[in-house]
Amino acid sequence: MRALRPGVTVPVVVLRALLLVLPCAALALALPQVPHGWVVIGVVLSAAAWAWLPDHAVGVVPLVLVGGWWAVHDVVDWRVLAVGALLVAAHVCATLASYGPSTLAVDPRLARVWLARGALALVPLPVTWLAVRGLDPGLAPSWLWLVAAATTVGLLLVTARLVRPEAR
Amino acid sequence: MTSWRPTPALVRACLLALGGIAGGIVLGQEVLVVLAAPFVVLAAVGLASRPRQAPRVVARLDHHRLHEGQGTTSRLEVDDLTGVEHVTRVGTRTAHVATSPTYGAAGSLVADGLPGLEFSPRRWGRRSVGAERVALTSAWAGWRCGPLDLPESGLVVLPQRAPYDSRAEVPQPDGLVGRHRSRRVGSGTELEGIRPFVAGDRLKRITWPVSLRTGELHVVTTRAEQDAGVWLVVDGLRDLGVSGGIDGAASTLDLTVRAAAALAEHHVRTGDRVGLLVVAADGSRVPLGSGPRHLQRLHGTLARVRSGARGTAPERLDLGAGTGSVVHVLSPMLFTPLVTATASLQRRGASVVVIDTLGGALDAPEGADRLALPALAARMRRIERDDRLRRLAELGTPVVPWRGARTLDTVLQQLARRERVPKVRT
Repeated sequence: MRALRPGVTVPVVVLRALLLVLPCAALALALPQVPHGWVVIGVVLSAAAWAWLPDHAVGVVPLVLVGGWWAVHDVVDWRVLAVGALLVAAHVCATLASYGPSTLAVDPRLARVWLARGALALVPLPVTWLAVRGLDPGLAPSWLWLVAAATTVGLLLVTARLVRPEAR
Repeated sequence: MTSWRPTPALVRACLLALGGIAGGIVLGQEVLVVLAAPFVVLAAVGLASRPRQAPRVVARLDHHRLHEGQGTTSRLEVDDLTGVEHVTRVGTRTAHVATSPTYGAAGSLVADGLPGLEFSPRRWGRRSVGAERVALTSAWAGWRCGPLDLPESGLVVLPQRAPYDSRAEVPQPDGLVGRHRSRRVGSGTELEGIRPFVAGDRLKRITWPVSLRTGELHVVTTRAEQDAGVWLVVDGLRDLGVSGGIDGAASTLDLTVRAAAALAEHHVRTGDRVGLLVVAADGSRVPLGSGPRHLQRLHGTLARVRSGARGTAPERLDLGAGTGSVVHVLSPMLFTPLVTATASLQRRGASVVVIDTLGGALDAPEGADRLALPALAARMRRIERDDRLRRLAELGTPVVPWRGARTLDTVLQQLARRERVPKVRT
């Protein structure tokens, strides 16, 4: 009996398996504290759906659930770094898997390109982590929050403008 | 024209980046900012890498006319590759066409060249290949153009060049020049005899040893060399059996068409004139002709043969051929009218050879129940057919199963000998 569907290669299966495993592992870092059952079910199901359809918008759900859980519990120790790396790795795996159908073999050169990009994207992670741990928000001037909020709104508007489909 | 649209990866990165930052500021959750930071980079670079122009994509086949087993490549042409990082092609699978990559999905970085799809038809006929979907992706997988649907292209697949060769003479060469030894004396190279010199003989034909020995001038006579008219009658009324292409089992029509192609190629290369009559629902007829262009025409006509339930066997094979022609009837001989027409052709003076192309089409598969209804029906059909062929052989028409090279040698030699025997026609 064939273990794989015809045309599906092992690297593709590995990528999709990682899509299921990585968000779950990011949540599992909370052990021995056990997240709420609904959170676990939500992460596992949405990660499974993401593994099945890497090019689908459902992929944002496990990342939001995992990130949200860690934010709610306000953990700022080393595990946040690991969680961030796992979520970025999941994002990169999904991106690699979404270049074509499951019968498209993983291009090694493209994989190397995305490995480098993933590493580059991880650069701000320790910087912000150190900033969050080392800086006291209470000491920041009030205008800084206004500027940050205005910048965020500006970024939202620019992004919305950029991703708007062109008129035909 | 399809424009560039953000990929789900970019949308995901944007949502996580902006949601994380906004949530961090509004809710005071620093962890969200930390986790969102990598996605800010991915979103920003992805957004910035948007290509400006929607490219025009065309796929072209290197060849539109191939023999079975040969291959061609479908190449992609994109007018503007600015900002494009990766190209993915997914071709639809076509019956009897092998594709490389096997499942039709190919992709590569633009820096490595555009991906090609290779097609190799495994069975003669008309095939439609090249229908595919193409997606172009920008750098950082931020934007995607497509999938674009590209139309298919027609591919004429000529029958395989089966190895066929024959050293036998054609029984009744009737042309002007050619490679076959004629029954008539002429200016060939094949020795016919030595006779006394008569007025009008060429001086270069004098054989001096014999002339000196006998004291009288003698000349060497040779046989003329002539070409022959060869008709190929192809039975396209039914296609029995399963066709696995050149790599698998052959149906009756596969055997018929490939045998006809091999015979046509052999005779045209020998210098004979070859004609073709396709007996099918939409039958066709190619008059006698010779040369490479005529061979292409014959192969093209064979590639268009299609069997259909509407086809009925003719009562008479109208070849418009003289009595000197050689007729090869390639058929599994499953229809009585075709057998009758073949017999009447033989009676009209043509040298007819029936090439049996049934193969193993009526054989029961391994492990099948021999008493099951389909197996019984197949055996009855085979018995009826064998009886028809036996009666045809009794009338003087040789029947030989197609076995590739030298299938016809013995039969043609026997026919040639028979043609030399004086006979009385009533």
